[in-house]
Amino acid sequence: MSDKLLTTAVGSYPKPDYITRARSQLLRGEISSGELEELEKQATAYWIQVQEDVGMDVMVDGEMYRGDMVAYFAENMEGFTNSGLVRSYGNRYYRKPIATGPIGRASPMTVDWWKYAQSLTDKPVKGMLTGPYTIVDWSFNEYYPTREAFIMDTARAVHDEAMDLAKAGCKYIQIDEPALSVRPEEMEIAARAFAVVTDGLDAFTITHICYGDFAKVFPHLATFPVDMLDMEMTNSDFDFLDLIRDYPSFDKYLAMGVVDVHNHVIEPLDKVKAGIKMGLEVLTPERLYIDPDCGLKTRMVDESIAKLQVISDAVREVKEELGIE
Amino acid sequence: MITTMVGNYPKISPDAKAPSLRAAISRFDESRITLEELKRVEDEVTREVIQDQVDAGLDLVTDGQIRWDDGQTYIARGIQGFTINGLIRYFDTNTYYRHPIPEKKLATNGAITVKDYEFAAANSARPVKAVVTGPYSLARLSQLGCYDDLRSLVMDLVPILNREAKALQAAGASVIQFDEPSILKHKEDIDLFAEAIEAVTDGVTATTGVCTIFGDASGVHSRLFGLPVNIIGLDFVMGPGNYDLVGDLPQDKTLGAGIVDARNTRLETVEEITESIKRLSASVSPDRLHVNPSCGLDFLPRPNARAKLVRLVEGAKKAQEELS
Repeated sequence: MSDKLLTTAVGSYPKPDYITRARSQLLRGEISSGELEELEKQATAYWIQVQEDVGMDVMVDGEMYRGDMVAYFAENMEGFTNSGLVRSYGNRYYRKPIATGPIGRASPMTVDWWKYAQSLTDKPVKGMLTGPYTIVDWSFNEYYPTREAFIMDTARAVHDEAMDLAKAGCKYIQIDEPALSVRPEEMEIAARAFAVVTDGLDAFTITHICYGDFAKVFPHLATFPVDMLDMEMTNSDFDFLDLIRDYPSFDKYLAMGVVDVHNHVIEPLDKVKAGIKMGLEVLTPERLYIDPDCGLKTRMVDESIAKLQVISDAVREVKEELGIE
Repeated sequence: MITTMVGNYPKISPDAKAPSLRAAISRFDESRITLEELKRVEDEVTREVIQDQVDAGLDLVTDGQIRWDDGQTYIARGIQGFTINGLIRYFDTNTYYRHPIPEKKLATNGAITVKDYEFAAANSARPVKAVVTGPYSLARLSQLGCYDDLRSLVMDLVPILNREAKALQAAGASVIQFDEPSILKHKEDIDLFAEAIEAVTDGVTATTGVCTIFGDASGVHSRLFGLPVNIIGLDFVMGPGNYDLVGDLPQDKTLGAGIVDARNTRLETVEEITESIKRLSASVSPDRLHVNPSCGLDFLPRPNARAKLVRLVEGAKKAQEELS
């Protein structure tokens, strides 16, 4: 595998209808959790094959077994219970975790799934975790006297999981912090918590951050204790690249989102190529990865595949045009 | 001392026998029920949430904004010239609203919330506070669209919302609150804000209020306290610094004190609430005090929201006993 201008994905893919159906059947007691798990494995294998077919370099398992990126971890950690339904927007509701006791991790939460996905391909599969700041920010707190104490205990639990992934052989570990850019005044705590997560971790670390006021928090991002930042960019007209350009000591890898995940329209090849070339004006091909803006789980299956394909095609053509091998 | 709510209240109840707004909206979206049928469910749920507030013992209730998708679009959809765009995060919460965009010069399309007020007043055993989004925050939380700058957008919203306030007053609303969640995030706009509030309340003789949330008013508090409104709403949960400012509240102003956390399920103890009230009473006499949750309760599941109101009333009662 060349190590230049690699392609990857942010995390989630859409769940096939049979998973959604099976989840409701499980709730009604019509199938067993073992039967659901078999279907989740089938769907995971499907997405690994899709990624092989489009020629993706660094894969994800697609998170077929997760309902939600925070709830999945809260349900599998100690110290959380679920709230009643709260509204996210419009007519959309979810159960928000509540910290009711000390947060900790009794046993691995994602390691078996990672091993399964990795067994299906020779390409590296990323381990996918949700960061402590985001888990805390998207939960209620009835136990901890301060947010900081809550964040730090959660960081230790996520650290345990990351260490187990690395021990299992995982080389790329992504710890997502989409809530991060919302409160500049808490960046310092978030960075300290992230350092706890990545402490002593023998793996290449990545964090995905959703759109926010990056100009305000960029110095924190540039020094965040992580190897690679994965940023949503189509949504913000690639403004983030200007911040990197204006910060000469920026030394991280960057995964750059070049297709919008909130839109049904498949981006034209030329537009995606133009985005990649903008990235190459700022970073070398070794330090630049190309991916969608965010997880694709809200798109249809065929839209997701088409978006992955246009990324792969665009990267191949850009490499040819610029003689990148 | 008056116990009240800021505005919204959770729309759905875990009670299987309660009318389900969630199911009704889904059915309406699938064209399986008519708009009239959906509105009937909204009416039933509104009655239910008013009853929750009355049962909890609140002195001044709201309609719970059951019909509102969010604080912005319900008003924007009632104004000519707005279109509604994609989802955007509401401040630092993990909730989202749709972004209003003025596509052409804004104009009134008649009253927006007056029927809602009349319905609530007719179905409440307690007085109802009318709540509308203030001109500054509605503009701030919208895109500029066809407007050149924030100021011109704010100033075009002012006469529309002034007309709304007067219509609410004519319908019998004795307390009218303008929600202004954005100003404390943009204190540099305080001049524009003051000008807008002055103009939007011009000629309104009902009791008026401006409600701020999510922060403290340090740096702008004397301007805020000097606004020509009767009630100044402050959030003492996300803005504990407000405790140090309320000593400067003029004698003719009432404080709307958000002292119960509307963004977390942890239920405050009666003692915590009494302590907050006593602390405030050192600067503001109880007869100039409204106590309420820190912001709208729609961030919580319904049972938690209800429990917070019951506890607020218990705490207020105990504080009053101890203070008298």
